[in-house]
Amino acid sequence: MKITTEISLLLKSAWGDFRRDKVRTALTSLGITIGVLSVVLLIALGLGLKNYIEQTFESLGANLVMVMPGSGISSNGPAGMVGGGAEFDEKDVRDVRNIPNLKYVVPVYFRSIAISSADAEKIGYLMGVNEELFPLMDVKTVTGELWGKTDVGKKAKVAVLGYTIADDLFERPEDALGKTIRVESLRLKVVGIVEKTGDRETDRSAMIPYTATFGSLNPKKTFWAVYLGVPDEEMVSGVKGEAERILLKRYDKDEFSVTEQSEILKTVNQIFGIINLILIAIGSISLLVGGVGIMNIMYATVTERTREVGIRRALGATKRDILLQFLTESVVLSVFGGLIGLLLAALIVVIVRIWFPVALNLLAVVLAIGVSSAIGIFFGVFPAKKAADLSPMEAIRYE
Amino acid sequence: MKTTSSIISLKNVFKEYLLGDGSVFVALKNINFEIHQGEFSAIIGPSGSGKSTLMHVVGLLDKPSRGEIIINGKDVAKMNDNQTSVLRNSYVGFVFQQFNLLNKLTIKENILLPATYCKEKLDFDADQRAEMLMEKFGIISKKDSFPNKISGGQQQRVAVARALLMKPQLILADEPTGNLDHKTGNEIIDLFEELNKSENITIVMVTHEMEIAERTRRQIRILDGEIVNDNK
Repeated sequence: MKITTEISLLLKSAWGDFRRDKVRTALTSLGITIGVLSVVLLIALGLGLKNYIEQTFESLGANLVMVMPGSGISSNGPAGMVGGGAEFDEKDVRDVRNIPNLKYVVPVYFRSIAISSADAEKIGYLMGVNEELFPLMDVKTVTGELWGKTDVGKKAKVAVLGYTIADDLFERPEDALGKTIRVESLRLKVVGIVEKTGDRETDRSAMIPYTATFGSLNPKKTFWAVYLGVPDEEMVSGVKGEAERILLKRYDKDEFSVTEQSEILKTVNQIFGIINLILIAIGSISLLVGGVGIMNIMYATVTERTREVGIRRALGATKRDILLQFLTESVVLSVFGGLIGLLLAALIVVIVRIWFPVALNLLAVVLAIGVSSAIGIFFGVFPAKKAADLSPMEAIRYE
Repeated sequence: MKTTSSIISLKNVFKEYLLGDGSVFVALKNINFEIHQGEFSAIIGPSGSGKSTLMHVVGLLDKPSRGEIIINGKDVAKMNDNQTSVLRNSYVGFVFQQFNLLNKLTIKENILLPATYCKEKLDFDADQRAEMLMEKFGIISKKDSFPNKISGGQQQRVAVARALLMKPQLILADEPTGNLDHKTGNEIIDLFEELNKSENITIVMVTHEMEIAERTRRQIRILDGEIVNDNK
């Protein structure tokens, strides 16, 4: 018999068996369905988190070089994220501004802080920056306007609010315009509200001239980072090298880091690669439980169908025929459960995507099908072997 | 009868079982006989005499503890499991007391089942042959029914059709009338007689009913695992 005919007969026979006992088939497959569902959803969640972070970085602009204290975020891995080191000041900003081919230089004072309006108080972020941040991050207002260079020069107490923090502090985000907000002792007039960007930090920030932070908020007049905007991606490495050369005159090598956005993304991808693996490992436990369920049912099936095995052997079935028959059944059961799990996961992903960028990828699909087949084979082989090893004479006499 | 027409021959066959208490139960003792082409024989004896064990050994469902079973000049007792499976598929057709049809398959699928285990290309169309056998045995109208939806007599006809599908040399029937009423049982024996006479099909039947056995031409009487009479 041709192998294709044999496979088609085996599949037909297995499917026919399941159709005749739909409840048992559904219940047996349920374990694998739940297992695949959890693994695929966890992968989708991991991918979603990764997408979310990537979107956040992308909103900063593609050609961004970040000067940060300590070892910053490097491509050497998450350990490099530990901060500490240099505290940048206006001299550093002036020095790096001399780098040729720079489009924007933005000193960044950044702090998580309580921001209050007349009626509410929320924890948000205070971003002391200059006006160059707005074109660098492509910030646009929904109402009001962005403050400018002169506001930085005269230490103006003005703020542009992120959409979410404006919404949190006032009845409607637009109501914030012209109102006063308070950050510690600083009273700031809201001059503009920014469009929702999807970036959690930007949407929750009060963006003010960095000079306005000088005083009780930032007595040392230092910055957490300096963002450098480069007009062309090809110039990024040149700017990076030049910034390092300049800063090395003032700081030790391990006191600061100059990082490209692509490097940060690489690190983030590494982190989420690990998170994904952990999530898959957790989800796999339920797959394993589903596999044990299939093995249990297949063992019961072999006992129930001992006489059938005897009849088939009397009609000429070899041990291999019987082994393949039972193995096919467990694989079909398992793959059937896996496909249902995959479909359910896809459905959930489509719904959740409305709120969060979860995603299905080829890896999840291949894993779902591959792992459920492997489980079918692994957990099916022992019962199938038991069936194949039955003595034809004893099997046919089995009552 | 010429030895060349021998379909199967048993030489000094013993079948022994080791019991739980360490003693040995001898189910078959020094069995010697030959089955020839076109014979219609009965193995008769009381319950526990060893006739079913003998049929299982002849039908290659079980191996003898000692002795030779010669088919086509080869000792099948020395064959491996795959080789005996192939012989069971092509050389022997079984008919059982309890019909042994698979309830989840239709009548036609039951009859076609042996063809699915054939490892070589068939020299006939199995589907057409199944249709022909169902037509011949008057069960064609039931071909899409399931075994539990037809009568005992019809189920045994299905079993006979299944046994004949692969054009075997030998039909082995284990108490084929045991689960049937007298009339239906006789109809099955009529069918065997007709197959034997008109198509020269070799049939060996195990029975404890003398009335059924007397309708065959040869009776092999077995008692306590030994052949005590063979009227060949």
